[in-house]
Amino acid sequence: MGYVAVKGGTEAIDASLRRLQYDRLKGEKILEIETILATMKSLVDQVMSESSLYAPYLAALAIKQAEGSMEEAVFIMRAHRSTLPRLYYSETAETERMEVKRRISASFKDIPGGQLLGATTDYTHRLMDFDLLNESVEMNAEWLHEFAKEVMELKPDAEVKYFPKVVDYLRKEGLFKNYSMDETSPFDITKQSIQFPVPRSARLQTLTRGQTGAVTALGYASLRGYGQVHPTVGEVRVGEIPVLISHPHELDESPENHYYIGEIEVTEVESFVPVKVKNEQNVEQLEFEIGYGICYGQNETKAIAMSILDQCLEHPASSFPTHDEEFVLMHIDSVEATGFISHLKLPHYVTFQSKLDSVRQVKKGEEQG
Amino acid sequence: MNRQRRTKILIQGSPLLAKELADAILEHYKVIDIVLPRYGMTMVKMRETAKNSLFYIGEVLMTEAKVEVEGQAGIGMLMGMEDERARQLAIIDAAYKAELPQTIEWETRLLEMEQVLHRDKTKEQAALFKTKVTFETMDI
Repeated sequence: MGYVAVKGGTEAIDASLRRLQYDRLKGEKILEIETILATMKSLVDQVMSESSLYAPYLAALAIKQAEGSMEEAVFIMRAHRSTLPRLYYSETAETERMEVKRRISASFKDIPGGQLLGATTDYTHRLMDFDLLNESVEMNAEWLHEFAKEVMELKPDAEVKYFPKVVDYLRKEGLFKNYSMDETSPFDITKQSIQFPVPRSARLQTLTRGQTGAVTALGYASLRGYGQVHPTVGEVRVGEIPVLISHPHELDESPENHYYIGEIEVTEVESFVPVKVKNEQNVEQLEFEIGYGICYGQNETKAIAMSILDQCLEHPASSFPTHDEEFVLMHIDSVEATGFISHLKLPHYVTFQSKLDSVRQVKKGEEQG
Repeated sequence: MNRQRRTKILIQGSPLLAKELADAILEHYKVIDIVLPRYGMTMVKMRETAKNSLFYIGEVLMTEAKVEVEGQAGIGMLMGMEDERARQLAIIDAAYKAELPQTIEWETRLLEMEQVLHRDKTKEQAALFKTKVTFETMDI
């Protein structure tokens, strides 16, 4: 059976689009982009991370246009991204130069530089705050004024402090394996289709732009027994790192000659995973490996889950789905997953008709038999 | 002052500074636009710390402009959609390349702004350090 062309939906589609517009406007309220940026940071961060485009203003606009739907907002951002030229590749960004806003370790209480809680919901009661129903700009301004006054009274250090990585401290002690700097050019999944097994760079790029819920679910599945990784979080750090670009034509490629174009906020996680290895005498001993997670914005759950999956995929095991590269990497992308599921609601008249015909034939055969 | 330090001050500092410096050039020299401010992306390359390998974390939205001043090309670029500032940065970049006399006077202005930024940052960090945990081991 060939395809059957049908028409007649144009007017209904136009009316549906007007209906969509009506639904967005009927409340007669306008949400400003600045309001989204100021009050919905986690949402903006997630949209930027899953769309793989760091652009807070555009992410807020996408959220407004999508009326709060994450999958729609990410789709809009990815579509917009495809209209923009890629002008440059940055110099290698290093998280050691992060201006840390938060940094904790679940492995050691005394880490060099100390544990910095920063802003976190970890210690809130998760009780509904009914006071927010009555908050006003004036009340908030007063609170901010008091806060600023407290800050003014503080005695700052002479220099801005950068925090050493917990893992470097352990590497110096010889407790973790040292790796030399690997300068291999990364694979770019936006330029080439992936083929399994994929290089580590493609795996990390896919994981970092994965859907938060999907990455978290698979990381959780590994912890519950559908995988073999149960780590201890060595360090979670949230902060800003500079983005630098070298001059496209000048010969001087020294860092001093680079352009600084701004900073990106990221969450980075190093998870410590105990593994059994055989030493030179073929005796089994315990060693630690590191699972790595990172994403745009502050999204600690996603970064921790990514670090679990990174470690799972470093050790392929066909008996566990979370250790199967194809299973993990092919199912965590927001646009691909929601797009494929959504396509099921598009017309499938011909394919379904064909299935119906088959069932009718079988039924007819049964009656005649 | 080297380019990285200069562009950091001009982007992190008050937007008025870049405008003021660019205006000083526009007043005395002919500025030819090579590339008008345009939006594009930069792919950010990162080093992961588990195995020290490189990967791409994603792209950032940026604005870029290119101008020519006294036969020297300058590039202005920064994150976000910032048409005016990208052109101003390009003019300043070209002025430094052409070694225009104004750039010598700018040194003090840039250093002053750098100090303001440094003061703000250390203050912010002092406030942040209030969330630093002081552990006490309990006797049980």
